[in-house]
Amino acid sequence: MQRDWADIWGGAVLALVGAGVALHAGLRLDFGTLRAMGPGFFPVTLGVLLLLMGAGIALPALKRGAEPVIFRWLDAGAVIAAILIFGLGMGRLGVALACFLAVIVASVPAPHGGWLWRVLLAVAVTLLVWVVFILGLRMGLPVWPRFG
Amino acid sequence: MTAWEGIAYGFGVALQPDVLIYCLLGVTLGTFIGVLPGIGAMAAISLLLPITFYISPEAALIMLAGVYYGAQYGGAVASILLRLPGTPQSAVTTLDGYPMAQQGRAGVALFVSMASSFIGSILGIIVLVVLAGWLSRAATAFGAADYAAMMILGLVAASTIGSDRPVKGFAMVVLGMILGCVGTDVNSGAQRFTFARTELLDGINLVALAMGLFGVAEVIGNIRNAERQAAPERVGFRQMMPTRDDLRRIPFPALRGTALGSFFGALPGTGSTLSSFLSYAMERRVARRPERFGKGAIEGVAGPEAANNAASITAFVPTLTLGIPGDPIMALMLGALVIHGVQPGPMMLEARPEMFWGLVVSFGIGNLLLLILNMPLIGIWVSMLRIPFRYLYPAILIFVCLGVYSVRGSSFDMGVVAVVGIAGYLMALARFSPALLLLGFVLGPLIETNLRRAMLISRGDPMVFLERPIACGFTIATCLLILLSIWQVWRRRHG
Repeated sequence: MQRDWADIWGGAVLALVGAGVALHAGLRLDFGTLRAMGPGFFPVTLGVLLLLMGAGIALPALKRGAEPVIFRWLDAGAVIAAILIFGLGMGRLGVALACFLAVIVASVPAPHGGWLWRVLLAVAVTLLVWVVFILGLRMGLPVWPRFG
Repeated sequence: MTAWEGIAYGFGVALQPDVLIYCLLGVTLGTFIGVLPGIGAMAAISLLLPITFYISPEAALIMLAGVYYGAQYGGAVASILLRLPGTPQSAVTTLDGYPMAQQGRAGVALFVSMASSFIGSILGIIVLVVLAGWLSRAATAFGAADYAAMMILGLVAASTIGSDRPVKGFAMVVLGMILGCVGTDVNSGAQRFTFARTELLDGINLVALAMGLFGVAEVIGNIRNAERQAAPERVGFRQMMPTRDDLRRIPFPALRGTALGSFFGALPGTGSTLSSFLSYAMERRVARRPERFGKGAIEGVAGPEAANNAASITAFVPTLTLGIPGDPIMALMLGALVIHGVQPGPMMLEARPEMFWGLVVSFGIGNLLLLILNMPLIGIWVSMLRIPFRYLYPAILIFVCLGVYSVRGSSFDMGVVAVVGIAGYLMALARFSPALLLLGFVLGPLIETNLRRAMLISRGDPMVFLERPIACGFTIATCLLILLSIWQVWRRRHG
């Protein structure tokens, strides 16, 4: 058992976000009155509420134990990298290459050794995407890399 | 339009070939997603949202609804065979469904779950028609204060009922409402939290938010967990034949479950997960020999499965007649309708009958399709459980990207998906509910609009929430719920 870090950090982050939202909206947006609420009324109120709740989550957690939480860096990193490779690379790399690379990267954290299945999977998914989205739905995307 | 005329009209809508195909596509995909543990109906509906931009609004609604109730059927399969709930709604089915599978009666358990799901859905449709007609007449008396009070009740109920840490749920709702503020303020035209990005003028893209929270975050969280499951035993059509005694045990639990599910499904904020748990508790209480429960009692499968299916149908009552989504999945549905330019509300039954009656009839058709497809095809669904997750998730990620890209071709939205995906994974790890965030995101702007309108009408007097009888009822219920959850937390700490 260790301290309930999930709630301590979660509550602290929420409280910070709440304070930031309330400050930002309070300084830049018109608060208005209860009768004629301005654009700032709702965000400021919500920000203060979130600040209070974040404190209400984090403070009691300081005295409490909980099972440790494991953040899987590799899994999260590979998935996000795959999204960015495909999402941002589609236009320049073309769908075929971007999709192939993204599947390879995404499959890295899978708990199963060997590279052959990863390459075969990448080819299969790329073919599927090409058939469904380019041939079938006629999405206007470049298939091959553009040089120059 | 009377109910009979409406249903006749609905058949005309739902039996159009293309609508029928989208209905079939929706229920099949929903069953598939429901069967796979780790990926829920929320992820499936988010994945399909972009496709709906290419089809008519009624076909879109029918398809997305099909995904939802199809997932309820599919969710039971993994619950019974692997003791892994395919969807949260079917978690309680593991309690007696899995013991039945261990006794070699997996096929019968699947039969019971499908039969009672079908009973729950069909009776739920009748409740939906009656309640929707009644509520849309009553809703003409609803003012802005009443709407605001009802939505606040829905948010409080969703974050407190059945939760052991209500403050965490409520914080997620508030965070969602803050995210809902981003964009141009409708009343004043002021820009809020846009940081001079033109992409944010219309607010955060619902599709990108939902895909990140449910598609991406669920993939990250399941890469390792989903791989450890044991292969299920094979089940065919022949193993599903129940005995006479099994059949005798289905109807009454299914009817009681339907009653509970219809009631809690239509209430904002409660929904199908709660009603399936309540139905299980009720079956245990009314049973002559409650010690059979947990060891493979048919009643423990029949009641909850009927309850969650009935609830998933009646959940459409507040969404379609008041424009108020009662649970996060309905919030996503409402978001999809708004993107299509359809604003559900009391006038919808009159103004857009093709949406309401088409949906009602498609519920019947879809459930019939599920029953006649799933019984003979059960072997295929069970073999889906053998597909390792590592072959599925890279393809899911690619579909997420293409889906978000197809909305408006924006690389900014791709960044939103990545950031929200990480945030959603962290939230799941720390047990903060991403579904409640989405509910707050969709309901927040509606609450703000109605609150501002109510305050303008009442000249700034907050007593309007106690003076109007409808609003007063909701306000009192909200206060009672808050007091109840404070009392429960206090009792747990000092009890």
